[in-house]
Amino acid sequence: MDALTRVVFGCFLALFCYGVIRAGSRRQVLALTLACVLAVALIGPPPARAQGSLVAAIQSVLNVVNGLIHTALNSINAVRTQVSNLYQQATWPVALINQAKATVTQMIGQYRSPMQSIFNLNLNSATLPNPTALERVMRNHQINDFSKLATSFASTYGTVPTARAASEPDRTMVDMDDALALDNLKTLKESDAADDMTLKMANNIENGASQAAPGSAPFLTASAVASSVVSQALTQKMLAAELREEAAHLAHENALRKRGSTITGDVNAEILKLLERK
Amino acid sequence: MSKLVEQAKRGLRWTWGHKFRAVVLLAAFSLLVPPPARGQFLDPCCAILAAGLSTISSTLSNVIGGGLNSILSVEKNISSFEQSVVWPRNLIAQAQSLVGGIQGIFNQMQGVMQVPVNSATLPVTRQFEQNLLSSSPNQIAQTSAQYAAVYGRVPNAAAASPETRNMIDITDATAQAAMKKAIEIDALADLELKAADEINRSIETAAPGSAPIIEAQADAWLVRANAYTQSATADLMRVRAIALANDSENLKNGAANATTVQQQIYNLLKRQ
Repeated sequence: MDALTRVVFGCFLALFCYGVIRAGSRRQVLALTLACVLAVALIGPPPARAQGSLVAAIQSVLNVVNGLIHTALNSINAVRTQVSNLYQQATWPVALINQAKATVTQMIGQYRSPMQSIFNLNLNSATLPNPTALERVMRNHQINDFSKLATSFASTYGTVPTARAASEPDRTMVDMDDALALDNLKTLKESDAADDMTLKMANNIENGASQAAPGSAPFLTASAVASSVVSQALTQKMLAAELREEAAHLAHENALRKRGSTITGDVNAEILKLLERK
Repeated sequence: MSKLVEQAKRGLRWTWGHKFRAVVLLAAFSLLVPPPARGQFLDPCCAILAAGLSTISSTLSNVIGGGLNSILSVEKNISSFEQSVVWPRNLIAQAQSLVGGIQGIFNQMQGVMQVPVNSATLPVTRQFEQNLLSSSPNQIAQTSAQYAAVYGRVPNAAAASPETRNMIDITDATAQAAMKKAIEIDALADLELKAADEINRSIETAAPGSAPIIEAQADAWLVRANAYTQSATADLMRVRAIALANDSENLKNGAANATTVQQQIYNLLKRQ
């Protein structure tokens, strides 16, 4: 835009010079000059006017900096200082964090070892060789000696009678009872082994808590809850085993009841026949 | 060169001959010449501007720069506190590693609980035991038939009194339901172990800000697991209640039978 104005102005000046040089008289030169002055006055842009004095403008900038901006920065600084104090004095005071970790460490020292000692007390009580062997194997927390458990169980409780020695229903029921008893003893061995691992997990989590930071503790709590789910699942498996055992006990008694009612019916019929004969 | 000199002489002659026009042109050129630039050392306006800018600069340095520096100092303090006390990277990594160690124990536990415990020796009982330990809800449909094969069925009406038949039937029903419940609970426990495994794996790769979300999910699973445990405990209590009721029923039947026998003996003696 500025370049275009300059070109037009240059052309206008050239025309004016040409007109002055070519004019026939002084009167024509004067007329041309007046016409040009008039044209420049009409076409030329009006002079720019300043908005205010320079000093006032500078003062106004200084007022904004010293007033609005200065106040805003002070406020931000005050808020951030408050946040910092809140973090360090109320939310995460280092002294209390260290105190919590020290409490965890102190409780580990106070409780872990005595509880472990109580939990590991030897509860075995059998006196004869076969029951002693059975008791030892069923309480040893091992899962790789199930065959030994079955042998010890058979040594203490005997095996299923032969087909000659007992009726088929008796043999079936004996085998079922023994099987469920043995199943549960094996499940308990598994559960004992899993218990040991659960305790190990608890110890690990507690050790971790004694060194944790507020930001790392959520990992431990989340893992502890997941471990609780596992522990609950194992409890359910034990409950399922107990349910099977109790149900088998009930079924066993009921089977005897069925047999008893049949035998009673037969005996009643025989007595009636005897009485009728007389 | 001589041509140029000749042209200059011609120009001067024309100017001498046209003084008025030359004056007009000179006036026009002098008016239209661009104004000279103003030097900052001599012009008072530039001096005011320079002083003003210098004041603005020093104000910006002191007020804004100083304020920002104070804020920066507080922010650095907060940042350092958060990085060294609240969320230290090394302790976060240590916690994640501990979760990984717990994952290893989870795997061991699952291995332990999957060791088979089957012990039956006869074909019928072996099949029934297989069903009971299957942890498969699809096997529940076969439980009743296999139960009957081992423990027998309800006697027919000619073989036992209605009271006895009722007792036998409800006892069988409770025992079978408990066995089916055991299969169901085993299956649920297996799913819970699997879920706990997945949850623990996701904790291992979580951030301090996302770990509580996973923890909330684990809490929900724990609540659910408690509900299943309660349900299993309820079935156990049902089995024991039926056993107690059976003992009571035996006493009642005994009393009724004793009365009947007394009456029959009395009738026999009367006849003689």
